[in-house]
Amino acid sequence: MSELTQYAILLGLTLGTVGLVLSIYALARAIGRARAEPAKDVPATAGTLARDPVWVRYHAKYYGYALLFLAFDMEMAFMYPWAVVYREEGLVALLDMGVFLAILFLGLLYGWSQGALRRQ
Amino acid sequence: MSIAVIILALAIGCYAVAVLEGWAVHGRLSLTRPATSALALLGREQILPRTSDRLFFEVGPVLLLVAGLLSVAVIPLAPGLIITDLAIGALFLNAALAYVLVALIMAGWGPNGAYGMVGGWRFLGQFIAYAMLIVMPITAVAMRAESLSTTQIVLSQAALWNIAYQPIGFVLFVIAAMGVAWLPPIDLPTGGGDLAGGVEAEYTGARLAVLRLARLVIIVALAGATVTFYLGGWLGPWLPGWVWTALKTLAVAAGMLALGSRLPRLREAKYLELSWKLGITLALANIFLVGVIALVVPI
Repeated sequence: MSELTQYAILLGLTLGTVGLVLSIYALARAIGRARAEPAKDVPATAGTLARDPVWVRYHAKYYGYALLFLAFDMEMAFMYPWAVVYREEGLVALLDMGVFLAILFLGLLYGWSQGALRRQ
Repeated sequence: MSIAVIILALAIGCYAVAVLEGWAVHGRLSLTRPATSALALLGREQILPRTSDRLFFEVGPVLLLVAGLLSVAVIPLAPGLIITDLAIGALFLNAALAYVLVALIMAGWGPNGAYGMVGGWRFLGQFIAYAMLIVMPITAVAMRAESLSTTQIVLSQAALWNIAYQPIGFVLFVIAAMGVAWLPPIDLPTGGGDLAGGVEAEYTGARLAVLRLARLVIIVALAGATVTFYLGGWLGPWLPGWVWTALKTLAVAAGMLALGSRLPRLREAKYLELSWKLGITLALANIFLVGVIALVVPI
């Protein structure tokens, strides 16, 4: 199978899934509809409207991790091609990536020492 | 042909996992419970919460199901029995699973309800904890197989399964997989008894059925991925390949569910701390160890 065919299959799978969901919804609708009653559409807060608005800004208390995560996630983009040719390249590959990972790990240790790895 | 077979196998797997989950949660083994509860969900009213973000609310469960199915597409059931044998299969699995986060944030944000919102944001924290521990062990697996193709990864384990070759990676991957599928004890987005259902709180009827189905698909996909990466996929004596894959996948799913039913829920802060202080260190050590072994031993 060519690459293009494979991705066409994946696209077909996605569309088929959407079709499946739509047919489940159609089936449920054919069984019956919701009766319009007052206060039925209030979100789950013990039957009353929420005191505070929900769509507001939240404090991401894990932002220290999140910043480190960005660095590590970028590093993974380099790791995959490296992993595939690792055995071909041999010791050179181990040393190259070893230095890279050591620097990154030192960064993690530094962040840890500065208190990045805790809930702020 | 193979697509139909795999979709059928996936449907059976989902049902089996639903039965197992009922057993783990309620302590009673019932073969008909998933069918009756699915029918009950279809018969229930579908309520759209007031002032909801309709687009996010509707797209969330569908995107979750699409993410689950796309990750199943690269998991081989037997030699040649795979939906798409992509050359970058393992990477594609990661990419598909990344949308689990997007879908859950959408499902949490959409209904404009406090519990859903808290569940969605908690999952973002959970994502930052598990994400690295999914990709780093897979890197070590790819180093041994010299390929990202899932079929090649299974074939590379002919002499020795990866669970013996890189046990640290296996443990890290299983724990991270439990995080992706928000299985207990890391079920922060739904948090039974804590958040009134969390992201599931505002979903009713058929939409909730789709959301739960999507989660079952994701559990099967992750158990299948564990089998492919660490337990030798279809490799095994006497029985045909697909039986081995099916048995191993169900065993891994049952193991994850059994583990979860015996542990108290982990707080998000604790999970982040464990993942980054212990998990990342172990994952890097795993990559280094596998690197040394792969250069010294030819298997």
